[in-house]
Amino acid sequence: MSVNSPAALRFVVSPLRSQARFTWPSPRRLRPILLPAATAAALLAVWQLVVAGLAIPAVILPPPGAVAGELWHSLPLLVANAVPTTRDTLLAFGIATLLGVGIAVVLAYSPLLRDTLYPNLIAFQLVPKVALAPLFVVWLGVGSVSHVAFAAFVSFFPILISTALGLASVEPSALRLCRALTASEWQCFVAVRFPFALPAIFSGMKVAMTMATIGVIIAEFISSKAGLGYYVLFASSRMETANVFAALFMLCAVGVALFGAVALAEALVRRAYGRR
Amino acid sequence: MAAGRHDTYVEAADVSKVYRSGTAHAVEAVSSVSFAVPQGQFVAILGPSGCGKSTLLMMVGGLEPLTSGRIAVGGTPMTGPRTSIGIMFQDSTLLPWKSALDNALFPIRVLRRPLVSYRAAARDLLQRVGLDGFEHKKPHELSGGMRQRVAICRALIYDPELLLMDEPFSALDAITRDEMNELLLDLWQQYTRTALFVTHSIREAVLLADRVLVMTRRPATIVEDLAIPFARPRAVAIGESREFNEICGHLRRRIEESHFGEHGGAAPARELVG
Repeated sequence: MSVNSPAALRFVVSPLRSQARFTWPSPRRLRPILLPAATAAALLAVWQLVVAGLAIPAVILPPPGAVAGELWHSLPLLVANAVPTTRDTLLAFGIATLLGVGIAVVLAYSPLLRDTLYPNLIAFQLVPKVALAPLFVVWLGVGSVSHVAFAAFVSFFPILISTALGLASVEPSALRLCRALTASEWQCFVAVRFPFALPAIFSGMKVAMTMATIGVIIAEFISSKAGLGYYVLFASSRMETANVFAALFMLCAVGVALFGAVALAEALVRRAYGRR
Repeated sequence: MAAGRHDTYVEAADVSKVYRSGTAHAVEAVSSVSFAVPQGQFVAILGPSGCGKSTLLMMVGGLEPLTSGRIAVGGTPMTGPRTSIGIMFQDSTLLPWKSALDNALFPIRVLRRPLVSYRAAARDLLQRVGLDGFEHKKPHELSGGMRQRVAICRALIYDPELLLMDEPFSALDAITRDEMNELLLDLWQQYTRTALFVTHSIREAVLLADRVLVMTRRPATIVEDLAIPFARPRAVAIGESREFNEICGHLRRRIEESHFGEHGGAAPARELVG
């Protein structure tokens, strides 16, 4: 069915008509929501069937129903543990963004520093940074400070690299225009270079938000007294597999919310600075 | 303005530009070029691609350092870009996230002049170049010719004494290009400024300019300085006159002659058409 066919037209929510009277959105418009939702529901159903059909013990793989029950039952405790994890992730992400963008800007304006530091930064990026997590505990102790520091450390590289690329991607003719207009470096940065780099910065930020979440969880695995990472470790040490899955769902929700916040910010910025 | 109408406004004396100078790969882009442009004159610099005419223009605009020689604009030697000079590049270089109006006002923002007092002037300019009703469109919503019209407004908004144009219409299709030539011709009649216009189109040079300087590749210098006799206001229709075509033919022969020297009698300059 084409959207333009008369039958379909009645279901299209037009911005003018939707305020006057509710009309059902066409299936085509709901597709981006329906399709993934149906896939997730199907997977849960398969999960339930496999667990029941093969008689898998709940300690190995609990059925989704049991996980849902546990999620409901432990919700207050899960939320209490989600708070430090979310807070540390946001802090780490903020620090990583400031640090990544800041260093990239310095590198963009100082060829000396760029030639000195950039190859080292790239080489350092190849180090499996997760292996350094225990060191952060040694240096900064058990608690939020080491979690934030480690998560910021693992998540600032993608922002640095993509901001550096973005700042280099500015159209040379736009910079020449700035020079012709006797614009200062600062004016040129604010009016031209930075806006041109925004799409790249945001793609780095989206990767960084995911990395920051992973970083905080890993740090919590290693040493902590609270947080969802701690919760997962604690529950699995007591063989409460359904509880582990409940914590994973909570973690998933936190991750989606944080990533969604960055995506939303990107959409708002794109409206103001988008090329289209 | 201290200078009178016939005083020299732009003066280039023995200007040379050598890239990678002092190395085995030194390239002489501009070779001891001298010329003087009186105030209010529209001068076209005509030559094949790669003859150094754009480099020369950028040196006049203070955007490119000279290897030797001297360029003075308004009596003062050029040491860097100046706000008394407006520049149009080959591509419009509009900021993709700004509307046509905001792009036209971009220099005012950079020069920290009060935006409010220029907004009406920007609207007026946009209207004069035929962009009525397109003030709030973003560059991606405009055609190539419209974008170049915005670029004209942007170059004129801060009222420069000298306008430098680096093949501003060469990326446009032939029909749009003719339209832009007509527009510039009309605009010039109301808005006379000293202008240097770089082009590789003979007809464009003869139609627009009071005077044509022909540049060639080797040596990268001026080989002809020709006054164009047509009175202003001009109409595009002069392009059909016999005299116009004779001038074009003369210029074409001058360019071909210098090319024979380069290629040892090979094919004439192919890019020099229309």
